[in-house]
Amino acid sequence: MTEHLIDAFTYPPIQRAFIACVLCGASCSLLSVFVVLMKMPLIGVAMSHAAFAGAVLGMLLDINPVLSGFTMCLLIAGVLGPLSDRTDMAPENVLGIMFSFLMGLAFLGMGILTKTKAVALNLMWGNLLSLSQSDIVVLAFITSLLLLFVLLYFKEIRSVLFNRQLALLSGVPERLIYYTLLFLTGAVVSSNLATVGGLLIFALLVQPGATALQLTYNLKYFFIISVASGIGACISGLIASYIFDLPSGAAVVLMATIIFAAAYIFSPKRRTAKLIKRSISHENDTR
Amino acid sequence: MDSFIINLDDINVRKAKSLLLEGISLSVSRNEFIGIIGPNGAGKTTLLNVIAGLEKFEGTLTLFGHNEIWRRSRETRLRIGYVPQLLQIDPAFPIMASEVVMTGAIGRLGLFRSPGRQEREKTMQLMELMRIAHLAERPLGHLSGGERQKVSLARAILQQPDILLMDEPTANLDIAVQKEVLNLINEIHQRENLTFLFVTHDFTMLPDAMQRAVLLNNGKIVFNGDIDTAMSSEMLNRLFHYPLEIFERNGRKFISYD
Repeated sequence: MTEHLIDAFTYPPIQRAFIACVLCGASCSLLSVFVVLMKMPLIGVAMSHAAFAGAVLGMLLDINPVLSGFTMCLLIAGVLGPLSDRTDMAPENVLGIMFSFLMGLAFLGMGILTKTKAVALNLMWGNLLSLSQSDIVVLAFITSLLLLFVLLYFKEIRSVLFNRQLALLSGVPERLIYYTLLFLTGAVVSSNLATVGGLLIFALLVQPGATALQLTYNLKYFFIISVASGIGACISGLIASYIFDLPSGAAVVLMATIIFAAAYIFSPKRRTAKLIKRSISHENDTR
Repeated sequence: MDSFIINLDDINVRKAKSLLLEGISLSVSRNEFIGIIGPNGAGKTTLLNVIAGLEKFEGTLTLFGHNEIWRRSRETRLRIGYVPQLLQIDPAFPIMASEVVMTGAIGRLGLFRSPGRQEREKTMQLMELMRIAHLAERPLGHLSGGERQKVSLARAILQQPDILLMDEPTANLDIAVQKEVLNLINEIHQRENLTFLFVTHDFTMLPDAMQRAVLLNNGKIVFNGDIDTAMSSEMLNRLFHYPLEIFERNGRKFISYD
């Protein structure tokens, strides 16, 4: 069995899939920290549908689907930022409207697409085993941009994650951080259409962050745990899909869910939270 | 006019055709401690937000001798500290109390500079002053309301502002904890050369250091003057539309109501 696996690693498509797993896991799970801590899971949904709709439109117009997907993501990020800053509309509603509009657009595109729909469908669930060299290069570039952003602006990021308004009021360039984040979300989502696809990427934008939330109070470790669990899910999913001949995107998402479930069950934070609750009620009883 | 650190001249704030603030004119001198008091919906927070730079407005606002619009430069933002109402936070959120205090220094440090020994020492000093040094390594979500408010105060002071805006910092706290936080606010006003604007709807719990009361109702200033005059039955009845009676004991004023 192991020999068989090691053997598989000599094939370039498998090697590429392995590298893509690391990059896809790292980029999505870095983003998932923001998605989870800023409580904006819908942003992942809206962005992935923007990328998907953009890619389908790109196919219609004979443009590179990753490029058109990315352009659409940027457009949506540009609209989403100012709209969600408006006080007369709840951000959830803005995202909800955006999401359904984009889905409509994507399906409209699919409907009038005369060429084979299989390529378009591939963008929905991706395929780790059919990646090209340029897919990997783009993914690597975007992932390093995101990593650089987190490393360079870590203290500003902490302050914005904690409270956007307080960050702004104390002279932190909150807008710069927020808009860079939206831009990078678009970039990560559109460059991952080919790996896990527009539908399944949503899971990777939430689960690694949610896993880290079960395990640590330290933001640095939070990023590290999130990335480790994201990469772990991607690689174990790839191996499972190879062994059991499953669709790779689906296998990755299921592995991410299993990792989250394990973190939830063994969460030391939940245990201490219970203890604190008990000690507070005990204090009240003895008063 | 130059001696005023904050000067508002005929400020209006409109939202969806209604006036949240109407013709507000107010001058604040350096190191003054002003209470902005009024019932819910009077426009107190809106007024604070105009000064903080969170709200668009019409009229003239002068801060530190410069005319300002609602967008602010980083330099101006650094000079205005803000203590919000009790911070709601997910108990699992990954941030320690000392890290929250430290976020007050981030804007001043600027990009690409990490907090050094000086910031860490100052953080611990402020936490000691607030009697929360023992909570430094606790997650913020595990602290009680009063403890979280002290963290907020320490955070705002670490920013080294000239003006400190406080939006109902004692709301939703137990009476004993309210008193403790108010005492700390008095202490800070004595120690630091700061101009304080303290918003509250609870006129029974005012910090002793407060020097002037601005009573606000329906977006207008109805009184601006010394606290003793403000705390008269007539004035408060008008403000809160409820019969209130003021009596004095040991030189302190108390309020009773049915």
